[in-house]
Amino acid sequence: MSDPVPPGSTASGSSPTGATPTGAAPVERAETIKAVKLRHPWRLTIAVVLIVLLVLFVLDAAQRKAFGWEYVGKYLFDIRISQAALITLELTVYSMIIGIILGLVLAIMRLSPNPVLKAVAWLYLWVFRGTPVYVQLVFWGLITLIYNSIVIGIPFVHTWDTIAITWVPPLFFISVVGLSLNEAAYMAEIVRAGLLSVDPGQEEAAKALGMSWWQTMRRIVIPQSMRIIIPPTGNEVISMLKTTTLVAAVPFTLDLFGRARDISAETFTPIPLLIVASIWYLFFTSILMIGQYFLEKRFSRGTDRGRPVVGVGVDIEPPVAGGTGGLR
Amino acid sequence: MSGATGTNPATGTAGTTEARASVPMVDAVSVSKSFGSNEVLKSITLRVQRGEVMCVIGPSGSGKSTFLRCINHLESVDAGRLYVDGDLIGYRQKGDRLYELKASEAAQQRRDIGMVFQHFNLFPHMTALENVIEAPIRVNGMSKQAAVARGTELLARVGLGQQASHYPSQLSGGQQQRVAIARALAMDPKLMLFDEPTSALDPELVGDVLDVMRELATSGMTMVVVTHEMGFAREVGDSLVFMDGGVIVEAGTPRDVLGNPQHERTKAFLSKVL
Repeated sequence: MSDPVPPGSTASGSSPTGATPTGAAPVERAETIKAVKLRHPWRLTIAVVLIVLLVLFVLDAAQRKAFGWEYVGKYLFDIRISQAALITLELTVYSMIIGIILGLVLAIMRLSPNPVLKAVAWLYLWVFRGTPVYVQLVFWGLITLIYNSIVIGIPFVHTWDTIAITWVPPLFFISVVGLSLNEAAYMAEIVRAGLLSVDPGQEEAAKALGMSWWQTMRRIVIPQSMRIIIPPTGNEVISMLKTTTLVAAVPFTLDLFGRARDISAETFTPIPLLIVASIWYLFFTSILMIGQYFLEKRFSRGTDRGRPVVGVGVDIEPPVAGGTGGLR
Repeated sequence: MSGATGTNPATGTAGTTEARASVPMVDAVSVSKSFGSNEVLKSITLRVQRGEVMCVIGPSGSGKSTFLRCINHLESVDAGRLYVDGDLIGYRQKGDRLYELKASEAAQQRRDIGMVFQHFNLFPHMTALENVIEAPIRVNGMSKQAAVARGTELLARVGLGQQASHYPSQLSGGQQQRVAIARALAMDPKLMLFDEPTSALDPELVGDVLDVMRELATSGMTMVVVTHEMGFAREVGDSLVFMDGGVIVEAGTPRDVLGNPQHERTKAFLSKVL
């Protein structure tokens, strides 16, 4: 050991590099710093002001007649309200499932080498992302006025027979169609970003093994793109739960918000019922947000679980944000 | 030659096994390939015999990787013909006409040609064993049990019997590349293509991968290896091809090409890498 420090001197700061040479005496720890803490008067002031305002608001709201708290308590667990809450959940789940499947199809179409498929998918996204979902829902509500018969014959030339469509689709069904077709446009962009995030070398490796296109998608590409797809999809679920209130445009009124309004129209207590509906929505979104938190934790961990260490530099393509890419 | 099937008219083989034994494993006839206006392969003609280990060297951008990718149709050739085991790659010939193969037919051709990539391209969401058994089960319809038995055996052969349940991220680069070799071998290929298999590895990990490849060469596998490992090329290779600017500048036995290069470009390249 070529220790430059003569024996007997204290070991602290003895090594020329600042590190303790192995085998030297343990370093004496320097005195812990005791300094006067820097004060932040403004932080404190703002905090106090906010707390005071919040307390004032709560105390005021608690005794304000217009909020009608006794009605809130009465209707919060009303059977009609909880049934409507279930319908809202059903609307959310069905619309998301269809939206995700259709979104996957649209994403694959957009990435396809076939220019017609590409253009059709682009057109779909353009229309459904470029118009308000409320307007779309009104349109779907009027669908039976637009398409009321099936004509058998040569289009625009000759008609053999006309069959009237007597089937009136249930409003719930129309609501799911309207919501899911709109959602598909947004899911398509999320799925596309996910598919593009997978290293092209993966597809190549699968191809070289003789796997078919669909095998490659299902076994190799889609599972890996989930890391990118799932977190924003969780956001879409939360967003969809709130968007279901717009089915009033269809008009479908058996959902949570619709039901709350219907009841208040009879009882003349609109404000308490708005609060009741809000509490239910908050309850659902809170649960979803907790789920979202764990999903994001689970899938952000995947960053190092995935790729070959050496290949990272060439592999990672930044996921295209689900946004403007679609409209060029 | 009526050329009703995709067989090589030059060697005139029918599909029988006896006839095939005399056919070269890879037969490239004036193969050219361009990306846009950039011609990366200019009329490449070469043959790889059965059991031969051919090493391809050359500066980057010389077209050697592209040529390798043409052999299993990851890239299609623009001109010339490429035969593997007597089969025309990527096309079917009827009379004078060439017809592009369907995706399923091209996949069928690739099944018998193993490929090992520079960046391994292991499936990161699968364990080493799952990587190896995926294609035999999905593509060849092998039973899971048989595939696992074979996969375990192959992982042991490349020295990774203990790492079967590890994910690629838990393996070193050298181990990943050996899994990739086992994955390719699981399809029982008649030809193995190596695209700079050790270029992405830390120097101390190169040896293990080369050992596996050496063992494979000894077992009689036909191999085309694009590499920068001159030691490997000299020791294991039966033939050596030096490519530059999309053409084969020099070809011969490794000893001749490395020890007594005839061409100025070969000399210049070798003086830089040796």
